[in-house]
Amino acid sequence: MPHKFMLGTFRHGTHPPASKGTADIPLSPAEVPEEIRLPLSQHIGAPAREIVSVGDRVLEGQLVAEPSGYVSAAVHSPVSGIVRGFVTLPTATGGKCRHIVIENDFLYEKSFLAPLPEDADAEAIKARIAEAGIVGMGGAGFPTHIKLSPRGGADILVVNGAECEPYITCDCRLMTEKAEEVADGVRLLKRALGAEKAFIAVEDNKREAVAALRPFEGDGLEVVRLRVKYPQGAEKQLIYAVTGRKVPPGALPADVGCVVDNVHTAYAVSRAVRCGEPLYMRALTVAGGGVEKQGNFWVRSGTPYSFVYEKTRGDLAETVTDKVISGGPMMGFAQAGLEACCTKTTSALLFLDAKQISRAAASECINCGRCFRSCPMFLSPREIEHAVLDEDFARAEKLNVNACIECGTCSYVCPAKRPLVQAVRLAKKTLRRGGGK
Amino acid sequence: MSKYIVSASPHITSPATTRRIMLDVIIALLPALVAAMLLYGFYTLFMAVLSVGTAVFCEWLFNVITRRRQTVGDLSAIVTGLILALNLPPVVPFYVPMVGAAFAIIIVKMLFGGIGRNFANPAITARIFLMLAWAGVMTRFVAPIDLSDGANLFVYFKEALNIDLPAAITTATPFDAVKQALESGANPAEGLSALDMFLGRIGGSAGEVSTLAVLIGGIYLAVRRVIDVRIPVIYISAVAVFTAIFYADTGYVGEYVWTYLLGGGLVFGAVFMATDYSTSPKGGVAVLIYGVGLGLLTVIIRKFGSMNEGVSYAVLLMNIVTPLLDRIRPRPFGTPRVKLSDKWLAWKRNRARKKESAAEGGECVA
Repeated sequence: MPHKFMLGTFRHGTHPPASKGTADIPLSPAEVPEEIRLPLSQHIGAPAREIVSVGDRVLEGQLVAEPSGYVSAAVHSPVSGIVRGFVTLPTATGGKCRHIVIENDFLYEKSFLAPLPEDADAEAIKARIAEAGIVGMGGAGFPTHIKLSPRGGADILVVNGAECEPYITCDCRLMTEKAEEVADGVRLLKRALGAEKAFIAVEDNKREAVAALRPFEGDGLEVVRLRVKYPQGAEKQLIYAVTGRKVPPGALPADVGCVVDNVHTAYAVSRAVRCGEPLYMRALTVAGGGVEKQGNFWVRSGTPYSFVYEKTRGDLAETVTDKVISGGPMMGFAQAGLEACCTKTTSALLFLDAKQISRAAASECINCGRCFRSCPMFLSPREIEHAVLDEDFARAEKLNVNACIECGTCSYVCPAKRPLVQAVRLAKKTLRRGGGK
Repeated sequence: MSKYIVSASPHITSPATTRRIMLDVIIALLPALVAAMLLYGFYTLFMAVLSVGTAVFCEWLFNVITRRRQTVGDLSAIVTGLILALNLPPVVPFYVPMVGAAFAIIIVKMLFGGIGRNFANPAITARIFLMLAWAGVMTRFVAPIDLSDGANLFVYFKEALNIDLPAAITTATPFDAVKQALESGANPAEGLSALDMFLGRIGGSAGEVSTLAVLIGGIYLAVRRVIDVRIPVIYISAVAVFTAIFYADTGYVGEYVWTYLLGGGLVFGAVFMATDYSTSPKGGVAVLIYGVGLGLLTVIIRKFGSMNEGVSYAVLLMNIVTPLLDRIRPRPFGTPRVKLSDKWLAWKRNRARKKESAAEGGECVA
């Protein structure tokens, strides 16, 4: 429970080294490639359907693919140029999806939506969020306009600026440099949701961001400092830390009257409402021992990872990079190659060297109980792993494996380096397919 | 073939390793080992070397014979050997620690699957085995040596092989006196000094006598977050409380409490043996039951049993209960509390339905 004199937090969790060396590097525009490969699936749900054809000229911010279902989101061109074709490429999360290839003409001719009036009502804001293709930018990419219409409503909006993953600093920079727009976006989201209160929750290692946001407090908007602990930014843990409400396993935040949005989403909402700018550009942290020019960049969707690497690698040898991670080191996705492209949800690209990654082999479980004592969901990872190794998925289900949020804390703390959260994923997947009988 | 390493998240792991944890336990045992040498001379070190050496050799040999991955590198065999040696009387024949260590490693640890799989603490079980096998040498204790003469550090080497030690060097442990006092109704602390017991200037097992040295190791383990501090705290508190309750009618409650806390290897057992990972429970409620159970059993054995101390048996018995205690699991975060009465009703409904379906299906239910 949050307390007046204490920083809000949750029980259990762990403390990976912050490694946030890029926190003081201001955001700067990234270079833009000649060829943009724009993924049509940058969100959870049905991929967008393209509405342009080969040879069309498109403008920066122009709608090029429309939502193809209820849970889907619009996609806009990040540059002006000519549509050169459609290709299927791997995505950062290990799947494949259709991409629009756009040849950049470097003219950056814009085609934005009309700004909304100052007193736009909830419906108008929600419609604009859908039009602008805004999705949850914390990583999951759930279309934001759907989240803003929960059944039964919500009285609290929690805006997630925890950024508890190591290395990632783009949200910190965004809050520090664009505090006014972030706060404005939060107020717009609050209005769209009809919430009574909005909290911007920030881990206490981002004092600069808190100081920048403070002047915009008041009128139902509050900045909350949270204890530095992983996974502080996990939805359920965040809601508990800020409001003291507990989201039951299998339930949604809206079931306890809360909606959580990322700070970057709030910023995108402000831009879409005030300037009519659709979402096609975001802040990205590039870090790790494999790149010389670490930092935070405004990067356009559809920028290939290989291009980002080329522009930031500097004089370092390619062999220095041992592992490429899209996202943070706790929950991000390791990349086999650099074919994938940046999306609305790509918060970080890490080029880690041998010293920055763990390659320890698993040994026998010594039953120390560290996984059990640090699990933020109060599960027993070692027992779940035993069940999985026995291929007894029914037992794993009884051990509430489906309540796991896959934050990776158990695998991180394990002294025997056992793949605990990995076993959980296997169990969940098998159970989803109807296994475990 | 990918240029980069591809694996599932998380991509980083904490610096904690099994080997580092075992190294911490070894470091924490060093004050007790040093205290044992200062109190009883270098023969205790000799015993520790034999015990550790045998433990490591047995684990290595077992892995070689059964063609398993070699595990001596995790240092856990050293911990077991060291704890066993510090649990023995300061002067026992050299083969006693060796047989004990071999028993601990082969029978109690490796045959049950090695590290993390043993159901009972190897060192404690081995000690109990040795007490049954060599009851005589396992219950004879010697007085601390006089350090003013350096030659005394080696004095016990020549006595070690004698089954009957000269009466001049044997001594009673404070607990013999406490036990007699219990029967006669006298003051149990008569002639005992709390300071001597705290420092270890008494007869007793080599590494257990110096509460001070054990506490230094315990604090180190707590600071390094190696052990679950709740276990020793609850255990020792429970011993104090139950002693006060069980001895309320003796008129010497205070004396019983402090002799019980400082003697009989309680602190050593609470810090180094009750906290053994694979044989202690993990959950909050389970730890509470475990600690209170340990305290209760220890006091019961001390008061009603024929043995003086009781820590070993209490730990062994609670080790056996641990798998049951581990079944007490917390509700996943956010799960609403279910009333006990509702749980009971659900269980009854479930049972009735099972019976019904069994009857319908014509299955034979034994």
